[in-house]
Amino acid sequence: MAIGRYTSDLERGDVLGPVDYTLSPFAVREYCHAVELHQDCFQGTHDQIMPPTLIHLDKLRLYRHACPLGTGPHARVHVEYDATVHDAVRVDDRLRVAGRVSDRYEKRGRDYVHIDMELTRVADGKLLISYRDTVIVSYKGSVA
Amino acid sequence: MIPADLRVGSEWRSRPREMTRERMRWYVDAQPTVAADNGRIQTQEPTIHDDDDYAKSQGLPGIIADGMISTNWIMGLLLDAFGNDFVARGRLRTKYVAPIYEDQVVVSCARVTGIEAADDGATAYRLDVWCEDDAAKKLTIGEAVAYVKVSA
Repeated sequence: MAIGRYTSDLERGDVLGPVDYTLSPFAVREYCHAVELHQDCFQGTHDQIMPPTLIHLDKLRLYRHACPLGTGPHARVHVEYDATVHDAVRVDDRLRVAGRVSDRYEKRGRDYVHIDMELTRVADGKLLISYRDTVIVSYKGSVA
Repeated sequence: MIPADLRVGSEWRSRPREMTRERMRWYVDAQPTVAADNGRIQTQEPTIHDDDDYAKSQGLPGIIADGMISTNWIMGLLLDAFGNDFVARGRLRTKYVAPIYEDQVVVSCARVTGIEAADDGATAYRLDVWCEDDAAKKLTIGEAVAYVKVSA
């Protein structure tokens, strides 16, 4: 187990969360403004839904919970986003996010970490989004 | 663009956008703002996306965009084509193959690679997606599946 300190410590098999939260209209609108998603389904005051890409910030939610000391001495660089949406995520729903480090390996002198995450609705346990995130956990610039 | 017009090989793209410093910072600030969720804008420690000195200390020539910005721009392109169906069911995978630097021009693109019937009466559109610069150099690559139900 490598949780409890830095994200750069994470190892295969580490479990992150679960963390429960309620998705707010403010969070969705702020995120969508930042990434210029101006579609009505994200902006409305009713029947508002979450952009599936917001699952990526749920990873940061898990990091804060499992790695309270932060990134570590070097930057973390996102390499790949891979999300499958099973159903729309609705604002004001109580949600549960959980993750597991499914792999950690070195390639060309860099440490890659895969985290597999699931976002479910607390009320009925329905799986809403499955997500695999790939990062370089301790980026040190170009590698010769 | 509506799905009925799409054929295998159909390709469409967004208007060009410059990856300005402001666009990078908007995303940086969105992260703690969503986390705090208290109705106020939050900021965070320097990152490689908004602080030149920190980016250089990490071996980069300057700030680079967070990859999720290009992922979201691709998602916007698909939403405009497939509507809300795309946020209720589908898949998007993106891989960041080249850094996006300040003021670099970015165009989001999609091409249909397959159209097939899905198991619930929907039509599944398989796509290659990518972002490229103004010299057609690919910056982000990936694939997507969009499911569209046609009302009777």
